[in-house]
Amino acid sequence: MRKTWLRDYIIKRLLIAVIIAWAVLTITFVLVRVGPTSPADKYLANLAARGQDTAQVVAAIEARYGVDRPIYEQYINYIVNLGRGDWGWSLSTSMPVTELIKTHWIYSFQLIFLSSIFAALIGILIGIYSAVRQYSKTDYIATFFSFIGISIPNFWLGVMLILLFSVQLGLFKTYYDTSLPLLSLANLKQLILPVITLGTGMLAGYTRYTRSAMLDNLRKEFVRTARAKGLPERTVIGKHVFRNAILPLITIIMFDLGSIVFGGAYLTEIIFGIPGLGQISFNAIFADDYAVVVAVTVISAFLILMINLITDITYTYLDPRIRYD
Amino acid sequence: MTNRFKNIKHIARKVGMVKNLAFIAVMALLGVVLLLDIFVVEKIFGLLVYLYIVLGTLFILYGIPSLYASRRLIKYYWQRASRNRLAVGGLAFILFLILLAIIGPLFTTDPTAANFEEKNLPPVGFTLEESVYDIKTGQFTTHRITGTGEHPVGTDDKGRDLLAMIISGAGVSLQVGLFATGIAIALGTLIGVTAAYLGGKMDNILMRFTDIMMTFPFFLLLVFIVFIFGPNLVFIVIVIGLTGWTGTARLIRSESLSLRTREFVMASKALGASDNRIILSHLIPNVISLIIVIATLSIPGVILAEAALSFIGLGDPNVASWGMILRAGQQNLDTTWWVAVAPGVMLFLTVLAFNFLGDGLRDAFDPRSNI
Amino acid sequence: MTDVILRIRNLRTYFFTRRGIVKAVDGVDFDLGKSECLCLVGESGCGKTVTALSILSLIDSPPGRIVGGEIYYNNLNLLECPPDQIRRIRGKEIAMIFQDAQSALNPVFTIGDQVVEQVKLHLGTTTREAKEKAISLLEEVGIPTPEKVANYYPHQLSGGMRQRAMIAMSLSCDPQILIADEPTTAVDVTVKAQIMDIFNQLKNTRQMSLLFITHELSIVSEIGDRILVMYGGRVAETTTVSELLNNPKHPYTASLIKCLPDITQVRDRLETIPGTVPSLIDPPGGCLFHPRCDKALPICREEKPPPVTITNGHTVFCHLYSRKGEMG
Repeated sequence: MRKTWLRDYIIKRLLIAVIIAWAVLTITFVLVRVGPTSPADKYLANLAARGQDTAQVVAAIEARYGVDRPIYEQYINYIVNLGRGDWGWSLSTSMPVTELIKTHWIYSFQLIFLSSIFAALIGILIGIYSAVRQYSKTDYIATFFSFIGISIPNFWLGVMLILLFSVQLGLFKTYYDTSLPLLSLANLKQLILPVITLGTGMLAGYTRYTRSAMLDNLRKEFVRTARAKGLPERTVIGKHVFRNAILPLITIIMFDLGSIVFGGAYLTEIIFGIPGLGQISFNAIFADDYAVVVAVTVISAFLILMINLITDITYTYLDPRIRYD
Repeated sequence: MTNRFKNIKHIARKVGMVKNLAFIAVMALLGVVLLLDIFVVEKIFGLLVYLYIVLGTLFILYGIPSLYASRRLIKYYWQRASRNRLAVGGLAFILFLILLAIIGPLFTTDPTAANFEEKNLPPVGFTLEESVYDIKTGQFTTHRITGTGEHPVGTDDKGRDLLAMIISGAGVSLQVGLFATGIAIALGTLIGVTAAYLGGKMDNILMRFTDIMMTFPFFLLLVFIVFIFGPNLVFIVIVIGLTGWTGTARLIRSESLSLRTREFVMASKALGASDNRIILSHLIPNVISLIIVIATLSIPGVILAEAALSFIGLGDPNVASWGMILRAGQQNLDTTWWVAVAPGVMLFLTVLAFNFLGDGLRDAFDPRSNI
Repeated sequence: MTDVILRIRNLRTYFFTRRGIVKAVDGVDFDLGKSECLCLVGESGCGKTVTALSILSLIDSPPGRIVGGEIYYNNLNLLECPPDQIRRIRGKEIAMIFQDAQSALNPVFTIGDQVVEQVKLHLGTTTREAKEKAISLLEEVGIPTPEKVANYYPHQLSGGMRQRAMIAMSLSCDPQILIADEPTTAVDVTVKAQIMDIFNQLKNTRQMSLLFITHELSIVSEIGDRILVMYGGRVAETTTVSELLNNPKHPYTASLIKCLPDITQVRDRLETIPGTVPSLIDPPGGCLFHPRCDKALPICREEKPPPVTITNGHTVFCHLYSRKGEMG
């Protein structure tokens, strides 16, 4: 009975997602073209500095990038190419951008994934405990640490961790070793500091949000009914209260993902030298490698779009009161 | 009774006129000074000073009277908020920081003065052992350097006094926080209130636009734009403001929507109030407390965004911001570690202070929380 | 007199707040007989709900605490039971329904699920058996198409249906005592009549004691056998319903009855009781009602009125009838 409108809603959201994706691409395109330097200029400047003959190169590059064509044709080519899987050529690493992304996305993924699990598991559990035992010593300590956790600049935390554990104590290497197989214990070990760096802020946030959502629901009438039914306390909290608390939690977590997690992962990769998408995009900036920077930005936007979509659908599924029609 | 009322209205209108006249007068004076500055004399004021004078005048002429008018309300909220000791502590720290930024530079040396004689000095009380290879004798000699009171927090690898750099960085962060947040909040509130009030199609369009902006991860977008257009502090501040309004817009819009359907608005309409009056006298005052909380809690994000940009090297190279100092420190982590610790601690404390304050304010404004 | 199933002696439940100690229930005694319907009556804030919650130890413990007294359920002192034992009694032997069904029911679970949960917990049946029982209960309270409704969420039902569903849920384990906390207050008049019909029907079909909390005397006359009037956390008067309505002894009770609007009478103004409910943090000394009582004696300001037995089963807490009061 709920299902029919749910299906229509999903279709509508997918259509909107397509429109937003198109808008994202367009904005990115416009920003790049409107920028003070064109992709060719910087590369040419480099060449000229090295004393090479630029005329021929100019012609080739302009043809390749289609900069000599009128702007709407460039735009259509841009979109078509993206669709065909041609995301440009990375000048700094001399390989197609798609290739570059294919080899490096896994590092970003493992960092974000592990940090999220770490943060979610610990954060939510502490948040629940903190809410149930409000005003206890544990609650105060947890709240205090969560304040610290969200206030500590994560890039500074990373540097401090390196200072303490790598430089002073020598427990970890100061750079990321890509030769280690991904599923090995050694790889896990060298990911400890980065995950702590990225995860601490997330964890603190999750703790606060969970605690607040749980507190809001602990005051509600249905909790009293559940207890009056004779249910054991752990069922009252773990099933009745939590199931209601999780609704606003999902929205907040999703919102955080876009603004904080991606930015945090970017910085963490740079600090620890993890060759994920953030790191290569960063290197591309200083090498004036436009194609890579554009690609990574667009991919991130798409990912967030997908995550938003999934979260919205999950939310409507979890909350029987919501109906969009 | 009605006679008295008429008198008051008369006076109020006069005062209103006086205020506006005063504002125009000050602006005219400023304009004259500006023209003189450009065409006749050497720089009298820096650009930022003009901005501050304008803002200050606005605040004194328009802000203070409305604050005075609602002083009882302010006193009530202040009493609630001040019970939260952490919030008060945060406020104290912020005030201290402002003081430091304004007065500090008078007491410290020039942060940009490189002095290679005194490079790599540790902070007061810390000792650093350095092995230096003496070419003449062909041996390693160990120097022990102890920090002096002259450079309480030490110096960096170019001999610049760290304390001075920290203080100048404080000024940078605070102003970035002020202006970038100001832009973001102003934009967000405008869009939010407009969307909520106009409703219908306009609301849809504005919200779709907000959705699109929200799809871009904030920091990556920031990096992207700075990459394309270049690192200039003013530009960075504007861009942070232009990209960080989405959350505010959403929150303000939902609050305005719920306010719009509340009984007191309908009652006002029934009494014949015009749309403008409803927005100005009823909606906005109720949203102000929300705006204050959002602003206070947005400032740390803005400060960190600028610091992060500087840290990865995309900041304005002419400005000594905390992020930049941190970057220098990171590059020499094994030797001059204090250069990495000091700015980070300041950033941390500043963000913590704003978070405490914002949280305290939010609880104070929330009628449901029992303080 | 029928067997007594619930015996409450000197119950005291206080709330320790920053502004002082709120003596929500301050020395309440009463008995509830088997298959009897006792109505707990009083204004808002007089302690009726807190009394009911104290029976099942459902008082929110940080501010509130049951500081004294005994609650005997079949010779078992509930206030001395360990939490596990109380939990076994809750929902199974003594069930409770609340005023606002909309907020009392969990919005994210279906009605059926919420009933099944309780049945499975106390009776240990399989899910299918529990579901069948749930459907039959929904039918018993007069919900049409119970098989469908069992899969509905609370927000999909009307106010009356929700209230019925909550009643069905409370009956799921055939409790000995059902405590109903103002079940008709939050609903409109037509639904109120329907709900009262259900209660009457339950009274006839089940051998269940009913502790019915309300502030409306009209409801009391419909369903109650005996009545207990509370004021300011203490008992004012208790007797059978008919005796109270015809022969109220306590000035407060008498005023309450006078306040009932009578459609046959022509009046310009409605009767009220002057003054306001006493503060439970800083209560007036002696009898709590004395500031508003037009028959107050000097002693009413000094001493708490003792219980006075008027007739068998009719007790009043008022100095007018006590020996000290008679002496003036």
